[in-house]
Amino acid sequence: MSFTLSSRHYDDRRTDESRSRGPSRWSHCRKRGADGNLRPQGDPDSTVFDDAEKRGKGRRCTDSRPASFTTPESGGPVSRCADWGSEVEEEEMRSGVLRDMQRYRRRILANDFNERERKTSSGSSDSRDSPIPAEMETDEVVLLRRQKQINYGKNTLAYDRYIREVPKHLRQPGIHPRTPNKFKKYSRRSWDQQIKLWRVKLHAWDPPAQEGSDLQAIEEIDLDDIMETESGMTNPSESGANTQQPKVCKTSASVPEDSCSGTPSKVMKTELSFDLEMCLNEGDGESKWLSL
Amino acid sequence: MENSKEDYKIQSFDPETQNLLKTALKDPSSVDLEKVSSVIVEQSLKDQVFSKEAGRICYTIVQAEAKVNNGSIFRRNLLNRLQQEFQAREETRSRSLQEWVCFVTFICNIFDYLKVNNMPMMALVHPVYDCLFRLAQADSLKNEEEVDCLVLQLHRIGDQLERMSAQRMDDLFFLLRDGFLLEEGLGSMARLLLLEILEFRAGGWQLSDTAQKYYYSEVAD
Repeated sequence: MSFTLSSRHYDDRRTDESRSRGPSRWSHCRKRGADGNLRPQGDPDSTVFDDAEKRGKGRRCTDSRPASFTTPESGGPVSRCADWGSEVEEEEMRSGVLRDMQRYRRRILANDFNERERKTSSGSSDSRDSPIPAEMETDEVVLLRRQKQINYGKNTLAYDRYIREVPKHLRQPGIHPRTPNKFKKYSRRSWDQQIKLWRVKLHAWDPPAQEGSDLQAIEEIDLDDIMETESGMTNPSESGANTQQPKVCKTSASVPEDSCSGTPSKVMKTELSFDLEMCLNEGDGESKWLSL
Repeated sequence: MENSKEDYKIQSFDPETQNLLKTALKDPSSVDLEKVSSVIVEQSLKDQVFSKEAGRICYTIVQAEAKVNNGSIFRRNLLNRLQQEFQAREETRSRSLQEWVCFVTFICNIFDYLKVNNMPMMALVHPVYDCLFRLAQADSLKNEEEVDCLVLQLHRIGDQLERMSAQRMDDLFFLLRDGFLLEEGLGSMARLLLLEILEFRAGGWQLSDTAQKYYYSEVAD
């Protein structure tokens, strides 16, 4: 009878449960969430979910569950981690990138529309009808790789200080660092160079050096590979930008001008407590938990 | 009112742990978040009431940590700890039914509360299904405590789960129908619970007014 049938079917499935026994439950590769999104609320027209469901269904037909469905889009970056924590972080980054992409497309559409409005009202005609320019990067593998590079840059004290000290509307192109646009078509070499330049500029906001911090060690591991690529680099165009930032650098007087030469001290997390207080003071009023 | 609810939950811990949790909620980066996550998991496995609402406190800590330093250490540790418990679930069940029921309640509650970019966590979909399938096995169906747990979880997260994988929900309900219809030695309470959940899903994850009356009005009178 059908009950026994289906229960056997279920048992089959359970035999591969050992699949998810992961290697390390704590891979020290990242110190915080993949894309650092603060769980924005509401984005109802997201199709991330639909995609995920379709993929999920396709997989289920075979009834032999794969070792991990962290990378169901196959051809994507292969997951090295089988623990749930890492799985969810990758998931977060992927859905974040997909959401950004939709946002970006909407923005392009809106711009395009406004442009056309203007043109028609002034009498000229415009035959551009493709809403998404051909130059947009849509390859998920590329986007995820780029996002990871951006996250490395944003995952620094310098970045936190930068966005705190220079409000968006005061940032000037050419002077202040600007995150490269991951959706534009660039060659790999061009993109990597943009990332390097951006990271170098961000170092102007490194916190002042302090000695004897054990946090430093952790930081070095995290960013080791990136540091290497940067250290060999000279970049004459940056020196001009650096001289224009004396006021934001006043707290980091001890950092030498040429802080892009690859010394690990520039990404120290020594000022953790300082950052914390700042953030807490901001958020104090909101949390009902604080009154407990 | 909400505050008093939170208070209750925290007060089921000893004073030292209460302090740890309060600090974690206020200032997540000043405490050992790995310890916080295991304290919460352990309490959930012991305390049935707590396991039903633990997702909320986890959600709040996750939010707080993201806000302070954009971190996700707590979530990572929580999920990995949960994964360990998941892998040991059969041993847990044979050791203590109560702990097993608490575990299922907890993992479902986490699934319900913690979202990634507003979406349920894919990583938990199949594990949660695996737990519910276990509860739908013949031996579990004969145990009222487990049936009660099963239908409670389906009431809470059934619709979300079905959207993530309709196929597995169909499979699960084949089991439940068979269990309801063919399983011998099922108590009448268990049958009632199963019948209600069958109707509940058939009605698009809600009960019609008449069904509501049938299942609940007698109790109220």
